[in-house]
Amino acid sequence: MATSLPTTRTGERERPRQRRRTLLHRLDLRGAPYAFITPFFVVFAAFSFYPLVYTAWISLHRVELATMNVMEWVAFDNYTALWQDERFWNALLNTLTLGVLSTVPQLMTALGLAHLLNYRLRGSTFFRVAAITPYATSVGAAALVFTMLFERDFGMINWMLSLVGVDNVDWENNKWAAQTAISTIVIWRWTGYNALLYLAAMQAVPRDRYEAAAIDGASRWQQFVSVTIPGIRSTIVFTIVLSTIGATQLFGEPLIFGQGPMGVTGGADNQYQTLGLLLYEEGWKNYQMGRAATVAWVMFLLLILVFVVQRVVKRLASRRASSVRTS
Amino acid sequence: MSRAHKLLRTRVVATVSAVAALGLVVGCSGGDGDGGTGGGVKDGEVTITMGLFGVMGYKETGLLDQYMKENPNVRIEAEVAGDEQTYYTALQTHLAAGSGLKDIQGIEIGRAKELADTQAAKFTDLSGVKGADHFLPWKLSQVTAKDDKVIGFGTDIGPMAVCYRKDMFEQAGLPTDREEVAELWEGDWSKYVEAGKEFKKGTKNDKVAFMDSASGLFNAMIYGNSEQFYNESGELIYQDNPAVTEAWKLAAEAGGTGLTAKLRQFQPGWDPGLANSTFATAVCPAWMLGHISEKAGPANKGKWDVAKAPKGANWGGSFLGVIDKSPVKEEAKKLVAWLTAPEQQESIFKKLGNFPSSQEALKAPAVTDAKSEYFSDAPIGKIFGEAAQEIPDKQVLGRKDGTIKDIFSQGLTLIESQGKSPDEAWKDTEDRIKKATG
Amino acid sequence: MTTDSLPVRTDVRPQPPKDSRPARRSLRTRLRPGAGRQHHAGPLTYLLLTVAALVSLFPLYWTMVAASTDNTRVSQTPPPFLPGPHLLENLGKAWQDAALGKAMVNSFIVAGVIALSTVLFATLAGFAFAKLRFKGRNILLMLVIGTMMVPPQLSVVPLFMMMTDLGWGQKLPAVIFPTLVSAVGVFFMRQYLSEALPDELVEAGRIDGAHSLRIFWSIVLPIARPPMAVLFMITFVHAWNDFFWPFIVLDMTNPTVPVALTQLSAGYIRDQSLIMAGALLGTLPLLVMFVVFGRQIVGGIMQGAVKG
Repeated sequence: MATSLPTTRTGERERPRQRRRTLLHRLDLRGAPYAFITPFFVVFAAFSFYPLVYTAWISLHRVELATMNVMEWVAFDNYTALWQDERFWNALLNTLTLGVLSTVPQLMTALGLAHLLNYRLRGSTFFRVAAITPYATSVGAAALVFTMLFERDFGMINWMLSLVGVDNVDWENNKWAAQTAISTIVIWRWTGYNALLYLAAMQAVPRDRYEAAAIDGASRWQQFVSVTIPGIRSTIVFTIVLSTIGATQLFGEPLIFGQGPMGVTGGADNQYQTLGLLLYEEGWKNYQMGRAATVAWVMFLLLILVFVVQRVVKRLASRRASSVRTS
Repeated sequence: MSRAHKLLRTRVVATVSAVAALGLVVGCSGGDGDGGTGGGVKDGEVTITMGLFGVMGYKETGLLDQYMKENPNVRIEAEVAGDEQTYYTALQTHLAAGSGLKDIQGIEIGRAKELADTQAAKFTDLSGVKGADHFLPWKLSQVTAKDDKVIGFGTDIGPMAVCYRKDMFEQAGLPTDREEVAELWEGDWSKYVEAGKEFKKGTKNDKVAFMDSASGLFNAMIYGNSEQFYNESGELIYQDNPAVTEAWKLAAEAGGTGLTAKLRQFQPGWDPGLANSTFATAVCPAWMLGHISEKAGPANKGKWDVAKAPKGANWGGSFLGVIDKSPVKEEAKKLVAWLTAPEQQESIFKKLGNFPSSQEALKAPAVTDAKSEYFSDAPIGKIFGEAAQEIPDKQVLGRKDGTIKDIFSQGLTLIESQGKSPDEAWKDTEDRIKKATG
Repeated sequence: MTTDSLPVRTDVRPQPPKDSRPARRSLRTRLRPGAGRQHHAGPLTYLLLTVAALVSLFPLYWTMVAASTDNTRVSQTPPPFLPGPHLLENLGKAWQDAALGKAMVNSFIVAGVIALSTVLFATLAGFAFAKLRFKGRNILLMLVIGTMMVPPQLSVVPLFMMMTDLGWGQKLPAVIFPTLVSAVGVFFMRQYLSEALPDELVEAGRIDGAHSLRIFWSIVLPIARPPMAVLFMITFVHAWNDFFWPFIVLDMTNPTVPVALTQLSAGYIRDQSLIMAGALLGTLPLLVMFVVFGRQIVGGIMQGAVKG
């Protein structure tokens, strides 16, 4: 732009201007990223980080909900007590099994569904909207309906099972039945959502990659494995991270599924109590905020641990792979 | 395209600012921002806010409307939460922060002691209110703090009887007349369980259980004693309290030998059980009759009856307290006194079956002569009135009563539905109580 | 990312940034998102999709059935499969009992403001994390991911005290402000943009002298529109259905829909059909939104693909 201006006179004037422009440009390069992330971090600091730190502080005390101003310093007692608490290990294990039961089928189905939706379809909008509809249902409404469907004596699912000669299943009191039922609610609600994310990502995979693969003689299945999956890798990572986090925080579904006081404890035998429910039980049934805060921080630390381990493993794996390649 | 784009841009910007502005406006206009109770006086009109839960029935029976009609300058805003647990959680949070409270707050019996012990300062003393000396003495002692401050007025009490199905009793070869049925188990709950065994032997329909749940029996037994989980000085005594251990033993026996339908009262699975007639008896406090008749439906009308329980007991009942910080404290006190006055208690009993906690109302003919059409014209006024007489004059509450009661129900479910031995279940229950009270 | 095959630079460079129109058009044809695969679906695909649609829709249909009968009918065996006669009656009663009018307005405001601001800030931050270089980027990103792991129940007590201090108790800002941004949103936009936005495009913009905001506006936004739409929908739904925190901080004089619906299970006797009717009413606006906007959102992405 500037070079199109002819005379030398303007050329002399131009130098400071250009300098100012480069300065501005540099400022822009350096500052803009921070400006872009500032709104997020400001709100985050005020409404998430501060409560988080406060929670850490609470976890070092004995505090009851109704008398939050009376805090008795107990240092790490809450943490050692949790470590020795059977319920904690039980909840951890349940969180794990429920996480696997609900996440793995959910993401697999979502991937398949997205693949199907990516065909050229008649009535594609209908199928897409149908797939995403469960997501529009609140946890409360979904869990209520499924609780009715899974009801022991008169529920629809047991009725259907009875048609094929299966005896009534006590969906709540049998551990694996209960975990299956709860996972069903999660899978029902989230599969379509994940499928939509995958679909959006699949649509962004450039076509020439498929063309190249087709020229190389790849079958549809091979194209799916070698083009589609790598092409939407980041989105898959996103959904895995998100459902893992969602699984660790699983709370509303088992709470409502258990109905009333039994929901808070995750069944009479804690057979489906998750860490989220344990936190809730400590905080909002036993009203021990210190212990609830401890569970929260342990959940937080566990997740960080998982991600650190995952990163280290990944790094080691790639290092090994590269050393293999060079040798 | 670029014009269209620009147009879209302006539209987006306009929408963003419009929505944001709307959010601010609405945000600023709602509520009154002083962290108060929401009530107040404005242009001579008094607004009183109420926080209630579940089964209190003031809104449903139109009593609040009646009060507003009689006092045209008063406006009542009542908020009824569904689940008491959720209600109490919010109440605790609000008490902790000193804001978000209502002028009047409902208090469930299981929470009464905890609030009287830890939150009495936040409630107004109701002991001096005139014309409020009509309550059963033990009722008010349950919400009296250490310094003799009364933090709430009683709504109802829960004297117990046994609701039973005449048709099923007949089929099992048991008597059906309510006097004879009462005689079956007179004076001793273990006779009730014996009758259950008879029933099981006699009945031809193996889909019908004798009682709905073991926890109903457990509750009925422990609440017949003046001390349950705590003693008067607030120590946990349930482990050595025979009232508790015996109730546990009997309820565990009933649950472990298939006398129960393995249901949980007031949870959704219970309702279809009522509708589909899967059990023959339920230990029923007075306030449960309304629920049974509604859920069992017109098809079962006249099949149900009410018999005297082996022993008198009190299960449930609530209170209304006034928040001390309320700007309309005096008006709120007046409203609470009115709502819990004998006439209103009578009226609620007639409409819903909630049994009066007022001695005067208990003597009123409308109460003593009451009959229930649904329950084969059973003289429920007489049955529950007599049961109320048998309730021990002292009712010791403890801080975590509500929670401990739930833990025991849970322990019984372990036996009923998960095949645990009573000893294992008792051990689990002990551990849980330790956690809940620790 | 292998973007080598995209001859982006040569297209963009000659275009002055002020008039980005031709640049964008040629970019769009080149970058045609949604090229994907466009095989026609076979009968098996239709069959599988129909089954999936049935599984998806049945629980909602059954909610409607339950909402249209009465308590006794709902718990019979075999269960009812056809709607009963009480649907409108129950819906009307639920609407009135829960005072849903004001709650709906409140929920629209809350969910609308939260969704708009989340999308805006998440796209900004997501773009920065995906394509801009700055000190501390990785640590800050880890921090963002870390915040997603904090169980939301726990912030409730400190947050509630904070809202009381701010004088926001029982007011909508107390629900809106804590969720104005979302870590999930930032992470989502970052993941999408690092895949869908070629580095070359950003560099080309720089070479043309465009400043960051301009690049954001004329290069990032057009590409990010589909995920922005998805994020808007997701956030809106999430904000609409959020229960625990609104229940603690709001009250019935100024509720959101889920908070208002608790009134339905509050009656003296729990009416399952009424609760189901309420659940249906509370979900209805979202369903309508999905049907109306879902078509545009997904359809928009599709359109590009089909035309190309």
